[in-house]
Amino acid sequence: MNNKKRFLAGVGLLSAGLMLGACGNGGSDDAEADGNVTLTWSLWDTESTVYYEPLVEAFEAEHDGVTVELLDLGSTDYQTVLGTQLSGGDNKIDIVTVKDIPGYSSLTNRNLLEPLSERAQDVDLDQYAGTVEQITIDDEFYAVPMRNDFYVLYYNKSIFDDAGVEYPQNGMTYEDYDQLMRDVSEKATESRGEKIYGGHYHVWRSQVQLYGILDGENTLVSEDYSFLDPIYEMAVSQQEDEIVQDYASLKTSNLHYSAAFYQDNVATMLMGTWFIPTLQEAISSGESQEFDWGIAKMPIIDGAEEGSTGGTMTSLGVSSNSQNKDLAYEFVEFVTGEEGAQVIADTGTIPAIQSDEVINKITSIEGFPEDEQSKEALETTNVYLELPLDENASEVETILNESHDNIMTYSTEISDGLKNASEQVSALKE
Amino acid sequence: METQMKRDSLKKRKLKERLTAYSFIAPNFIGFAIFTLGPIFFAIMLAFHQWDGSNDMTFIGLDNFREMFGDDRVKDALWNTIVYVLATVPLTLACALFLATLLNSKIKGRNIFRTIAFFPYVASLVAVAAVWNMIFHPVNGPINEILRMIGILDPPRWAADSEWAMFTLVLFSVWKQMGYYMVIFLAGLQGVSEELYEAANLDGAGRWGKFWHVTLPQLRPVTFFVLMILTINSFKVYDFVYMITQAGPGTSTLVLVYEIYNTAFLNWNLGYSSAISMLLLGLVLIVTLVQFLGEKKFTNQ
Repeated sequence: MNNKKRFLAGVGLLSAGLMLGACGNGGSDDAEADGNVTLTWSLWDTESTVYYEPLVEAFEAEHDGVTVELLDLGSTDYQTVLGTQLSGGDNKIDIVTVKDIPGYSSLTNRNLLEPLSERAQDVDLDQYAGTVEQITIDDEFYAVPMRNDFYVLYYNKSIFDDAGVEYPQNGMTYEDYDQLMRDVSEKATESRGEKIYGGHYHVWRSQVQLYGILDGENTLVSEDYSFLDPIYEMAVSQQEDEIVQDYASLKTSNLHYSAAFYQDNVATMLMGTWFIPTLQEAISSGESQEFDWGIAKMPIIDGAEEGSTGGTMTSLGVSSNSQNKDLAYEFVEFVTGEEGAQVIADTGTIPAIQSDEVINKITSIEGFPEDEQSKEALETTNVYLELPLDENASEVETILNESHDNIMTYSTEISDGLKNASEQVSALKE
Repeated sequence: METQMKRDSLKKRKLKERLTAYSFIAPNFIGFAIFTLGPIFFAIMLAFHQWDGSNDMTFIGLDNFREMFGDDRVKDALWNTIVYVLATVPLTLACALFLATLLNSKIKGRNIFRTIAFFPYVASLVAVAAVWNMIFHPVNGPINEILRMIGILDPPRWAADSEWAMFTLVLFSVWKQMGYYMVIFLAGLQGVSEELYEAANLDGAGRWGKFWHVTLPQLRPVTFFVLMILTINSFKVYDFVYMITQAGPGTSTLVLVYEIYNTAFLNWNLGYSSAISMLLLGLVLIVTLVQFLGEKKFTNQ
């Protein structure tokens, strides 16, 4: 009975927390007598993320008596922990980092984030290239994008050179990519005398599913997922032919995508732009095998505009329990604004505002591939989110993860798996 | 007059005694009331509400339960839980009993063997599960290497295969838990009087005869205890699933507690998840009651 009890106790604690939280709201205030204010910023991976500290320092330098504290809630279940904290009436957290769209919709459904449209009246929303619209609900938005990463195709130039195969090109289609993977895998395995994989799908569903929405016709909250059928056909057959590593083994061995790419036996890998600084660092520090690499635009499907890609959005919001909302919003505006974008770009990370200046900064950092095509790869036309905003986003996420799992482990036929997902999502809409 | 006074003082003393007793129980009971009883009632109430943890609760009557009957995930979870219980309970019980009788006989180094059998229970779940996953790796795990060596060219993909995932999970549970129940059985075996075996020897009973007619009946109360604990433990399984399969592939090892957690803390559907908890509670209650009645009937014979 232990788990059950624990769960029930959790619910009880939650309600107790709510009551305590309600009491707490009237009382203490973070603003101390001497005018010093401490803001708390919830986030993850403090150790390995390089831009938190410079952002905080830059903000504190402009605001006397303000201290920003980092509250690391861990990366794996960040949204769950955050949700529990805020639901419990926690008024310590002022600034909330929102990790993904299901997280955003879960927080806004429960009114845990402060509406920002009025506060952001003077902010030019166009600089976010349409991403704010993607998180707007009934003319109101509750967070501002801080980072907008998108997917690009990383490739190992050394493997292509050994195989004598031409590098991946910007604007190729998924079918071209399929051919290229098979080609390079066969030839490189031959010339190197060891198994070389043509591509690599990390265990995320988005690694396969994102291709399906690049033409803008469909989104991943859908009542008919048959549009994913051709993509899965190709991905599964690549797996069967051992052009890519086996999904189930990757999952059971918990192999990180970076480790897979560092081994110098994977020719191409679709991954977010967040991987650029990590890869640079890993190669210069020797964590990775040494090889030349480049990036190309994400392969597209028929009917998609060149430069279309999938992306993720990390945004910042203000907790509705916060007692320093005005100051917290100032911080949000600073980090998500032009100044914050520069600070983020200095560390090689792609911020939400992607002006030419910002892109130049990133491509001129040492270790970034020097060829023109890799630079061009950072120009995007349409960036589609892994999941659009929807009130059932977290349920849909679970359903899509399960079908992906079922299909990639051969537990179900592709069409049956997709049909099943369609039915489950339709049932949510009723 | 005197008797009246005597009676009064007796009453007083009794009251005092009771109060003392209650005050001793109080710390535990208060803890129980706050952390267990309260939440249980709260969960029962929640089951008839819709609540996301932040906005106002709305009373929706039996809607949560109605929704449950049409929910494929809950159906899968219920079915998987039942399969898991039906497989784990008898297997663990049999293995534990077998080990206990084996290690109760006078063999050389039995303390070492007892320790070995108990070891999986002591070892940290996280570490053990990680090693287990490596051993049963679908492609290059040692188990499959061995299977291929002895001529099984297409060995099962264990936790990565929806047909085999539940089997892998049950195997892990049995291996992890049997040592604990073995110890309980061993303790029970110490209470079986030598005289009974001597008498059985005189009657010409063999090994099996002694086991069936002496050991097993003598162990009945212990067996009943183990059966109960094991059943309840198996119904609430979550940690093993989380470590070995994460409910996958797909929903093939999704169990009720896993779904309760998902509904509550990923989807923030606290009312609905409480309703599923009620389903689990009802299930465990019924099974336990049946076991109790069965036991009573048994002992009366």
